[in-house]
Amino acid sequence: MSDWNIKDLEEWDEKIIELAKSKNLDWFPISYEICDYYAMIGNMAYHGMPLHYRHWSYGKSFERTHQMYNIGAEGLPYELIINSDPSIAYLMRENPFYLQLLIMCHCIGHSDFFKNNLTFSDTSPENIIQRFKNAKKRIDGYIEDPSIGVEKVERILDAAHALSMHIPPNCKPYIPHKKRRKDLISKIKSGHEDYIGRDPDSYPIEPEIDLLAFIGEMALNLEDWERDLIEIVRQESFYFMPQIRTKIMNEGWACFWHYRLMHELELPQKYHIPFIKSHNQVVRPHLGRINPYHLGFYLFRKIEERHGLEECFIAREVCHDESFIRQYLTAEDCYDLNLFSYSLYKKDYIINEISDSEGWKEIKNSLIKQVGSNSSPKIIVSKLKSNNVLRIHHEHDGRDLELSYAEKVIDYISTLWGGVVRLDTIIEDEPFEI
Amino acid sequence: MTTFKENKGISDRSGSDRQRHRDKIDKAIREGIHDIVADESIIGQDGKKKIKIPVKGIKEYRFVYGENENKKTVGSAPGKNIAKGQKIGQKDRKMPEAPGKAGDQKGEEHYEVEITLDELAAYLFDELKLPNMEKKKFKNISSKSFKRHGYRNHGIRPRLDKKETIKKKIKRRKKAIKNETHDPESDERFGFHHDDLKYRHIKEKKKLTSNAAIFFIMDVSGSMTKEKKFLARSFFFLLYHFIRSKYENVEHAFIAHDTVAKEVSEDDFFGKTSTGGTLVSSGLGKCLDIIDSRYHPEAWNVYVFQCSDGDNWPEDNDFALKYANRLINLSQFFGYCEIEPRNSRDKRWLQLSVLSEIFSSLTRDNFKIAEIRNKDDIWLAFQRFFGGFHE
Repeated sequence: MSDWNIKDLEEWDEKIIELAKSKNLDWFPISYEICDYYAMIGNMAYHGMPLHYRHWSYGKSFERTHQMYNIGAEGLPYELIINSDPSIAYLMRENPFYLQLLIMCHCIGHSDFFKNNLTFSDTSPENIIQRFKNAKKRIDGYIEDPSIGVEKVERILDAAHALSMHIPPNCKPYIPHKKRRKDLISKIKSGHEDYIGRDPDSYPIEPEIDLLAFIGEMALNLEDWERDLIEIVRQESFYFMPQIRTKIMNEGWACFWHYRLMHELELPQKYHIPFIKSHNQVVRPHLGRINPYHLGFYLFRKIEERHGLEECFIAREVCHDESFIRQYLTAEDCYDLNLFSYSLYKKDYIINEISDSEGWKEIKNSLIKQVGSNSSPKIIVSKLKSNNVLRIHHEHDGRDLELSYAEKVIDYISTLWGGVVRLDTIIEDEPFEI
Repeated sequence: MTTFKENKGISDRSGSDRQRHRDKIDKAIREGIHDIVADESIIGQDGKKKIKIPVKGIKEYRFVYGENENKKTVGSAPGKNIAKGQKIGQKDRKMPEAPGKAGDQKGEEHYEVEITLDELAAYLFDELKLPNMEKKKFKNISSKSFKRHGYRNHGIRPRLDKKETIKKKIKRRKKAIKNETHDPESDERFGFHHDDLKYRHIKEKKKLTSNAAIFFIMDVSGSMTKEKKFLARSFFFLLYHFIRSKYENVEHAFIAHDTVAKEVSEDDFFGKTSTGGTLVSSGLGKCLDIIDSRYHPEAWNVYVFQCSDGDNWPEDNDFALKYANRLINLSQFFGYCEIEPRNSRDKRWLQLSVLSEIFSSLTRDNFKIAEIRNKDDIWLAFQRFFGGFHE
């Protein structure tokens, strides 16, 4: 038996809203859906989207979470909320009352972040549900089309998914090659000295980071429905990219606020200790890893301590994880959190830096390299040859690619491209071509 | 405005995607069967032994960074003393990995699963899409056995059950004490009474036993290369575990032959190569001998599988056909599989081999011919034998 009903939630929601408003939080209205753990795992598999197209990888994701849940290796996340207006959030029926309240406070933090952080400004949360619904409808149509079918659809989706991280992190719109070529020709004609010697027949005109868009435009043999699939995957990536780029901040901000709101809610005494326990569980540091909830919560508290609450609101508006850490993480913090960096030497993981007076800067740089989109290698289209060979280039930043994976991805790109694809990279300080 | 909505539906939204995922695993296992069994010995393992199944193609590949000196990972070490150069773990001992969005780390995939042979058999054969599984290929044989069935007051001396008898006497004594007909303090002996005696009762039981004897016959003459044997081994593995999954009691014999046949161990079967020529009848004859001496068809379901590259000495063909016919009569199923890797465009592949040609005259329901050219054919050959699968 649960210790709450919907009426209780509604009653307390009013108190939470009133309190949050008094703190100048500004969020989308929230639609809570109460579901059991099984439905929760289902929703998680589809990133919380009420409607999402079909693909086996979501089935795999479900199986995995379900298995983890059953063997108790991993508690389910306490909350799941999506960036939409209104925001859709899920409450697990099995949760006790105090936890529902904590989650509701936490969700307000997230929704405020979605609404106000600049990284999210182009995500159009007001129609995202509809866009996902349309995409699903189209893909269902292709799967049911006797001339296409699920195998062919998966062939393209498998390949496009492999490239989903290779869009501009700032979600800059793609300028079609044809338009760029026209612009370049007119600029060359105008005789501007910057454009002397530029060749309008080179492909691409500029190195291109938006792989999916480039392939969608320039691949010769794609059918319309195939281009549509590629674009659907790309659009979904654009939608999720801001969340990838602000994981630490977003969770930090939500924890910062649930902690404060719960404290000020005048909860009945019996809820207080369980709440503190749950909170500590969520924001505890993970040995050898970065727990985004922990780091984000810690940093927002430090910012308030050092610069005042106003500064926290500014950071929540203008930063993403990379700039957030760059700007606010100090030597003292690195020391406090006992951050260290390690890497694999042959078969052993060895610590290469610790947060002493020398090491902390190095550690901060390494940390920045592993947050947001920086954790994915940067791959750009460098050249398209007349014989339809697509050359892509890995911008090496000290870290080598995992070749066994890279080879498979090249196969995927060839599938989409419909021709030979070559990748230039550096392996162990030597140029390497796949 | 906040809203709360109770979702009482039991909709299972990921159902079709899970099915699709499982189909992929199934397919990968079947395609990988050759790789799975390459290192496994066929027999002598009970069903509990675990084997590793490499399931390929279920991973979602992305560009990721490799793990090496240059990839530094930052983590926290709350309350720990740490120092530069300190060793904190080993590869494959599972370092904690940051739980990122799928694909930004070279994630741990669980699809190199370890499963037991029993599970593998279930995976491959139970859910197997063998459309017209021919039931008649499997039969149970009834046999009589005796089983204990309670106790009786009368019986023959050897079936006297001492324990039950003493129990009966103790009960009687207790009753006697209670009724004060016996005084435990006295020295009076409380002896056995005729009624105390209890005999075990034995009942005759008809039992359906399912015995199977599997014969693997292989040509080990010089023309059977390592590669061919490798394919044969994988194929035999499948067949063995398939039959094993259908019967309670399974025995086997390996018969290797060139011009003469011998019953050998599994290791010798696949390991040794002779340089001699080929007399197929020798192998079939040996099989008949063994059936005759150890596995009478009344009590055993006999399965005979023969692998060869199709060569035979011409003067032996008549004998081979005669023996094959006899074997078909004695066995539930006789499968002949020709293993001939075809990587060359040799013209002779356009015609039937010697054995295929002579065996093709055998048009019996419990006889089938299959052909394996490369490892992808193993599953097809298997289906051809047991799937009621006709070209």
